Amino acid sequence: MKDYKATIVSNEKIAENIYAITFDLGEQAEVRCGQFGNISVGGTHLLRRPIAICKADGTQVTFCYQIKGEGTQKLKTMGAGTSLNVLMPLGNGFFVEENEKKIALVGGGVGVFPLISVLRQYYGEKIISAYIGYRNKDAVCGVDEFTKATRFVGVTDDGSYGEKMNAVQAFEADLAKGNRPDVVLACGPTPMLRALKTVVEKENLPCYVSLEERMGCGIGACLVCVCDLTNGQHARVCKDGPVFNAKDVEV
Amino acid sequence: MANLSVNICGVPFKNPVIAASGTYGFGREFHELYDIGQIGGVSTKGLTLEPRLGNPVPRIAESRGVILNAVGLQNPGVEHFIESDLEWLRSTGPVTIANVAGKTLEDYEKICARLSGKVDMIELNISCPNVKSGGMAFGIKPETVEEVTRVAKKGAGNTPLIVKLSPNVESMANNAKAAENGGADALSLINTLTGMAIDIERRKPIIANNTGGVSGAGVKPIAVRMTYEAAQAVQLPVIGMGGITCAEDAIEFLMAGAVAVQVGTANFTDPYAMPKIIKGLNDWCDRHGVANVSDLTGTLQLNGR
Repeated sequence: MKDYKATIVSNEKIAENIYAITFDLGEQAEVRCGQFGNISVGGTHLLRRPIAICKADGTQVTFCYQIKGEGTQKLKTMGAGTSLNVLMPLGNGFFVEENEKKIALVGGGVGVFPLISVLRQYYGEKIISAYIGYRNKDAVCGVDEFTKATRFVGVTDDGSYGEKMNAVQAFEADLAKGNRPDVVLACGPTPMLRALKTVVEKENLPCYVSLEERMGCGIGACLVCVCDLTNGQHARVCKDGPVFNAKDVEV
Repeated sequence: MANLSVNICGVPFKNPVIAASGTYGFGREFHELYDIGQIGGVSTKGLTLEPRLGNPVPRIAESRGVILNAVGLQNPGVEHFIESDLEWLRSTGPVTIANVAGKTLEDYEKICARLSGKVDMIELNISCPNVKSGGMAFGIKPETVEEVTRVAKKGAGNTPLIVKLSPNVESMANNAKAAENGGADALSLINTLTGMAIDIERRKPIIANNTGGVSGAGVKPIAVRMTYEAAQAVQLPVIGMGGITCAEDAIEFLMAGAVAVQVGTANFTDPYAMPKIIKGLNDWCDRHGVANVSDLTGTLQLNGR
């Protein structure tokens, strides 16, 4: 973990309301898939924006973000050459055991980007099936990455790209055909994670989910971004997560 | 090199920059970024007798120049702190200040007694705006400020007691005097101002608790004014805080009458804020021929009118 003075290399729109920003850190950072960075947009914005790392390649790192409020509005206007403070890498990230050869990625919305980091880390080493749900064809992104997976099923809520279903339904359809993974890794909207949790419990599949929450410090000190654990305790999404065993968290 | 050391109630601080409660945990996470031994002091996450889970999420929101939080005193309880964190924090070097909260007068006495002699100082949180029973009830009126201070002081014994004052009051001067009358050894202020931020698409407050404590750069002028009022009203040392982002901000508080400052929200914006402020204080003093940072305290000269 380090607060990099990171220089923007590119910052462009990749789908409806979604931008990809690439920074040069000036040195190589040790990044695990599923980790995130806390990006300072400066000015009157006192909180940083915690955003999942999508790609880390040499000294360059790419984050994909959705335009949500004033901070991300400001971020999208920043051009190449601008320097921003980026505290990273943060959080635990996804871990896949040696004996887990077949990975299923289930994602939707901005949750697809941390899954791209998983794909890139385990590409060629594991058998990866990606079940990715988008709102509609305009929201489709990351396909150039996901098509590198052993199997890619992209679907939309309105059927304008792929079949008309959600990511969990696409995953279930494959399960019914006997395409059963050793582990499921997921990131996406809460209803998606909730539906997935029901499926993996029924199927008795190990599953890890990456959660999102409004954060303060991003390093585990302020106890702002907690999630509920099934044992009644709280965990810090930024430090104990963002990736949790699905059976340990309430979603 | 200016002399940055200060002394509060007989406790020596290597510099007047203290981490504000609730923004710094017990220091462990920031110690992964830098040696927290270089910080003057750490006021711990607010401790209660029993562990507390705190409020539902979201617990934080942003508004231009400020943030709002309503964590609701989530903490592992005072016993867990004593067993797991106290020795470590003391060994790293900063002055250890235990921030404590309670529901009843008895709670305050008990928790102060439990920490007496174990920590360098105790800071009484009687002004948490985010929990119904987080002491806010004690922090508003001078009569209850005095009463809770007296009871807590009985528990704290010889361990210096700092009373942290709320800005959500009728008169800062009166509440500062009340704490002094109750036997406080020092004051700290300001705690957060109660505020609300609304998500207009959902027509609902962003924070689950509806209201939250406002802090950050935007509250600084209010905090400086209140620090001045408190310092004028009492003989006690005053620790100022509210929106301090850089050394120049800290100097404003010192000139207004503070002997030391606390830094909170700035730790979120820049995790290295405190080491930078300490360095900036030294540089400013050197540039201005100030030999001791303590010489700045209370040097404000009001405009004639």
